[in-house]
Amino acid sequence: MPFDTATLDAPFASLKAYDWGADASAFKPIDEAIVATQSDAAARSDIERRLIALLGPDTSRACKEYVCRKLALIGTAAAVPALAPLLVDGDNSHMARFALEPIPGPEAGSALRTALGAVGGKLAIGMLSSLATRRDAAAVPMIAGLLSAGGTTAVAAATALGAIQTPEAIAALAKADPLAGDAVARAIVDARLACAEGLLRQGKRAEARALYDQLATAAAGKPAARVIELAATRGIVACLDTTAS
Amino acid sequence: MTDRSVSRRRFLASTSLTAGSAVAAPYVITSKALGDATTPPASDRIVMGGIGIGNMGSGDQGAFLGRPDVQYVAVCDVRKKWRDGGKDRVDAKYGNKDCAAFVDFRELLARDDIDAVHIATPDQWHSVMTIAACLAGKDVYLQKPETLTLREGPLMIAAARRYGRVVSGGSQRVLEDYRTIVEPCWAGEIGTIRSADLSIGPPPMACYLPGQPTPPDIDWDLWLGPAAWEPYNAGRCDGNFGTGGNSWRSYIDYSGGSMTDWGAHNFGGLIFATNLRGQQPAKVEYHPRSADGKDGAYATIVYPTGVEIHCNRPQHLKPQKPSITHERGIQIMGDGVATAATPVPVYKGQGGIYGDFIECVKTRERPFRDIELAVNTMTGIHMLAIAQRLERSLAWDRATQAFTGDEEANHLLDRARREPWII
Repeated sequence: MPFDTATLDAPFASLKAYDWGADASAFKPIDEAIVATQSDAAARSDIERRLIALLGPDTSRACKEYVCRKLALIGTAAAVPALAPLLVDGDNSHMARFALEPIPGPEAGSALRTALGAVGGKLAIGMLSSLATRRDAAAVPMIAGLLSAGGTTAVAAATALGAIQTPEAIAALAKADPLAGDAVARAIVDARLACAEGLLRQGKRAEARALYDQLATAAAGKPAARVIELAATRGIVACLDTTAS
Repeated sequence: MTDRSVSRRRFLASTSLTAGSAVAAPYVITSKALGDATTPPASDRIVMGGIGIGNMGSGDQGAFLGRPDVQYVAVCDVRKKWRDGGKDRVDAKYGNKDCAAFVDFRELLARDDIDAVHIATPDQWHSVMTIAACLAGKDVYLQKPETLTLREGPLMIAAARRYGRVVSGGSQRVLEDYRTIVEPCWAGEIGTIRSADLSIGPPPMACYLPGQPTPPDIDWDLWLGPAAWEPYNAGRCDGNFGTGGNSWRSYIDYSGGSMTDWGAHNFGGLIFATNLRGQQPAKVEYHPRSADGKDGAYATIVYPTGVEIHCNRPQHLKPQKPSITHERGIQIMGDGVATAATPVPVYKGQGGIYGDFIECVKTRERPFRDIELAVNTMTGIHMLAIAQRLERSLAWDRATQAFTGDEEANHLLDRARREPWII
């Protein structure tokens, strides 16, 4: 029997008025409905629509937070247009990403990339974090451009490229000096090592070995780069181990 | 033991050897630095700091601080009372005021002289801090539950291996509390193990507590860290060991609830006894509440070898004569055909799991609860939690670290971290 979403009218009305500290038991039926409708596409779509409707300016931050938690589980491309404006809003940016990050398909990635171009500072790092988790290959050119931004943004950009691990990401990381000695250089080295590990997991030993060789050669004989040399050497040894994947 | 600290030790060791002949040496090398009958010379001590010095962290600190082969130099906590208390204990121990105290863990990790850290923060911090510590060249003793999400584990293992770090999980109970089932199982007394039953606690709750004025002695933004911003409430962040709603261990943003908090011990002890620590489950079978309502829902974790672990299975469905039981709700069934005994892995060094960690810091061996084994443990419990949340069975692909054929379940592999935190 299809789930009757009309039973959720009152819980959604309570949710619309919700703020921290109010009685949350009133909208517990929404939680239960989400689980109960896992095989009921029409009901799910209706629940998603109702949730999306609560992302506007007339609901509290607490309400939006609850909505984003639910959309993280059941959200689809339909939720992206309502979530996208929140990405650039300091109070709601994180929870918008919380919802968007796991939503499959190009729409969510596009929204995150657009927001990355529009924000700076911590919010930009947030976008980088979500694009990294999504391994968004289309974001690589934008992220590569942030390697020269310096500071924590550049560190996050390097980390993101190290997670995305496409050939373009590897190429972007290779352009930076791994021995600059600052936090950004350290993050870039870390990202290059992560990329090499990813290649090795895919069985691309020659490509992985090349990355390790580059780092080992650059660091050889330089006391300040001993950590890099050791890490790269460990990688070279792993490349020689034909029993490992 | 960082490369720099190796150099530091070598420097101190070589300097102490020449102390008798060098005119200036007696003025720069103290008797404490040289050691005595019970204390190794400074060159052989592991220099440590602690991050998160609350209820569990202060216990960990005491264990490390009491070791003659540890020189404890720094504490970090976002709460002043814990930070001050931690510093006071260190200063009292050494009779000076030298212990550094930090609010931000990044400042502690930036100290080149620190070899190893122990971490006992709420769980949302574990992956960020562990990865950062490895990148900074520190070895890590990390309180359980080591992970909060499934995505975190492989990244933590990768960081440890990439930099050759010793990273130990922090369940002291796995070896120490479950000997009565571990030893017979490893001795082959109950034969090939087919299945087990386990009582495991509930998952965490959503937190709807109201806001309260933020006290001046806490850096609330750093306490939350990667978790969603929520207003301060004393019950949200209290570090007591309860999971009923008046502690961070109760709530999903900071903990896996009793399911992971005690599960790290209890499930950890069971899979140690049954020698499954090296594996990750192949699937979780969800069994809904019976139609007549008499039997509650339960789940079965199934390993690639076919071993089944039934979690909270109704009593009447359990074997009436299990091969072996443990008082914490564990019973194990073997086929009764005795098998060859296998040596039980034990701690290295002296002093329980803390001594195991310190010994491994010295020898560079992998500790008893190496991060990979800890992650395997937590993977099983996280899978169970997600299956229970979604009320359906799930299959797991270890190679891709994802659920097979269930996109919605894969939405729960991780959760977006609040800026500026990224792993």
